[in-house]
Amino acid sequence: MLAAALFVAIAAAAGSAAAHHGFALFDTGSRKTIAGTVKQFEWTNPHTWVWLDVPNDKGGVDTWGFEGMSPNFLGRRGWSRTSLKPGDKITVTYIPMKDGSKGGEVMSVKLPTGEELVMFGGSPTDER
Amino acid sequence: MNAFLHRAILVCYAVTAFAFTANAQTPFKRPPPTPADWAALAKLPDLTGVWEIPMGGPGGGFFPPGRPSLTPEYAAKAQALAAHAGEDTSSANCVPPGMPMIMGEPYPMEFLLTPGQVTIVIEAFSMVRHIYTDGRPMPSDPDPTYFGTSIGHWDGDTLVVESVGFSSHTELAMRVPHSDKMRILEKFRLTDPDTMSIETTVIDPEALTAPYISTRTLKRHRSWTIAEYVCEDNNRNFVDQNGKAGINLTPPGTKTGKP
Repeated sequence: MLAAALFVAIAAAAGSAAAHHGFALFDTGSRKTIAGTVKQFEWTNPHTWVWLDVPNDKGGVDTWGFEGMSPNFLGRRGWSRTSLKPGDKITVTYIPMKDGSKGGEVMSVKLPTGEELVMFGGSPTDER
Repeated sequence: MNAFLHRAILVCYAVTAFAFTANAQTPFKRPPPTPADWAALAKLPDLTGVWEIPMGGPGGGFFPPGRPSLTPEYAAKAQALAAHAGEDTSSANCVPPGMPMIMGEPYPMEFLLTPGQVTIVIEAFSMVRHIYTDGRPMPSDPDPTYFGTSIGHWDGDTLVVESVGFSSHTELAMRVPHSDKMRILEKFRLTDPDTMSIETTVIDPEALTAPYISTRTLKRHRSWTIAEYVCEDNNRNFVDQNGKAGINLTPPGTKTGKP
């Protein structure tokens, strides 16, 4: 039952991503997590973008870009344009890029408070 | 000579004007709505408001089960399309899908009923469908468009809509092309106070061996409003002419040195 529900959620997630673009660039079978500091949260269509400053092994900082669902979709599922603020220390779970470049598709974000915001599978707030 | 030329030109104009008038269809002129027309709306099933296909919910979700049954010619076309499929579709460049695919987006739609018309405001790509219920005839040869030309009527509690005239850009189903003979019939009806069923029948004598019927179930959200969706605002996805997909991961505000 849980497996079936999970399958439906993933199928639906793939369907929604197809709303604007396909998943050819993403390694959809893979999930990774990365910790960093929010540089900017773009609350824009057709996708939100989390720009995350992540320390690299050269003593500097790289800015990673993570694409998320649109503000239209997320705004009805518990997110807002102030969900992530510059300076927030967060952990992002994401689908990595196939080519290994510094970015991916956000699946969930763990906030400094420990609260987790999910990209797909969250029910609309008016139904909770 | 000059007078003769002048007269000849005038005759030409007259003939051209006559031919133009004879060929043009007289545009349908909707009579102004009366208080009775507005009152009649209140007696119709209430389809108004904001609706969305529940994610992973009943009714087949965004991609209803079942595949269209294609003629050999269109099966070959669909196969060729799949074989040479790009990594992405032009929706990555913010080109919206047409009918019937636009009705399966994971975004809400608002239904408005006014005398002689049902309007569907589609949040995805900020699009609008106009369904004329004012008794106008279906145009004989409408310009092909993404959503076609839609004429509707009420059959009891069901809004029945026929659409024709689709752009070749639109797909009958995912990566399945259609012919210029494609017609789409839709039946909109309430199955409970906040649930709407949309049964979609695609008819295409060149592409399909049988009508392709699918049903979607939508839920009404009384507290929702339709949001703006300007796809070009911050679109970092793209697909090039060879179908190769790309994504721009340059952080905002990065100076590139280019003007």
